[in-house]
Amino acid sequence: MIPAVHLDLRAHACPITWVKARIALSRLAPGEVLELLLRDGEARENIPRSAEEEGHEVLRLAPAPEEGPGAWRAWLARGASGEVPSWP
Amino acid sequence: MALSETEVARWSRQLLLPGMGEASQELLRGARVRVTGGGLATAPAIYYLAAAGVGTIWIEDSDPVTPGCGAGFALGPEDEGRAKGAALVEFGRWASGFLAADPYRAGSRPTALVVCGSSLDVSRAIADEARLLRLPHVVADVDGQGGAVTTVPVGSPCYSCGSRPGLGAAPTAEGGAAMGALAALELVLLLTGASTEPRARRIEVFRGTPLVRATARQAGCACAGPAAAGLAP
Ligand SMILES: [Zn+2]
Repeated sequence: MIPAVHLDLRAHACPITWVKARIALSRLAPGEVLELLLRDGEARENIPRSAEEEGHEVLRLAPAPEEGPGAWRAWLARGASGEVPSWP
Repeated sequence: MALSETEVARWSRQLLLPGMGEASQELLRGARVRVTGGGLATAPAIYYLAAAGVGTIWIEDSDPVTPGCGAGFALGPEDEGRAKGAALVEFGRWASGFLAADPYRAGSRPTALVVCGSSLDVSRAIADEARLLRLPHVVADVDGQGGAVTTVPVGSPCYSCGSRPGLGAAPTAEGGAAMGALAALELVLLLTGASTEPRARRIEVFRGTPLVRATARQAGCACAGPAAAGLAP
C-alpha cells in the first residue's frame, strides 16, 4: 500500500494539525492513504483518535527516528463515508 | 479552488465543526450576499457573515448614521452624519480581511439575501423580491430584546407565509444583535447544506426562549405558484 499524499505537520500546533489532516483526508477517495509526519505529544495522541472518530482507519502509527528526534509517522486510510459528519 | 494556507489558518476552528469542511468553506467564499433593509440587525449580520468566511457582501442602506440608529454595534459617534451603507462597508472590511464588501448596486447578482428590514412591511417587500428572483434568503425581525428569524430556501413557503405577529415591541440594539447573528448563522447553514430539517423554518426568540418551527404555506399565497414548484423558467 502506497500513501497517496504525504503531509509533514511537525511545524504546526493544535488545532491546525488536525484541520490540515482532516482537509487532506477529505480530498482522498475512500481507502486511499494519507501519510503524516507528527511530533510526539499532542499531535501523535490526538490526530489518530480524531481520525478514528470520523470514520477513518489508523493503519500504522510508529516512531520515525530517521526523520529526526521525536518524529512519528502515521498512515490513515480515508473512511468509506464521503461526507463530513453533520450535526446530530 | 482549494483553500490557501492562510485561509485554512483563518477558518481553522470553523473547519472542525460538524458539517463543515473545506467544501463548505469554499461555498461560503463563493457566496455573494446582499444585506439590506436598514434595520437593527444589519451590522451584526454583516459581522457574523464576514466572520464565517462569506466572500462577498453587498450592503444596501441609504440612511445617514444618527444617534440611536442601531449601528452602535459597528459604528461610533465619529460616523454620525455619514451614509450608513458606506460606513458599514468599511466595518465589513474591518471585520474580515478575506471579505469583499461593497455597496449594493442595482443589477448586481447576489446568490442570497439577508433581509434586516426596518419594519415588517420593508422586510415583506424585499423578501418577495428575493422569492421572485429565486434566491435563498433569511429575514431578521427585531422585536423588543428578541425577535424572529425566518429562513426561506428557494421554493419553500415565503416569508409572509412563515411569519406571524410578535410582541410588536420597539426594537432594541440587543434584539438586533441577537437576530442579526442568528440570521447570519441560518444563512451559513443554508448555503453550506449543514442545516438540518426543517430547512424552511422560523426561529422565534422571545424572553430568551427560542422556539423553532417549520414554516407552512398559507392557502392562496402567490408563493404556491409555478415558481414554487420549480416549473418557472
Ligand atoms: Zn407564501
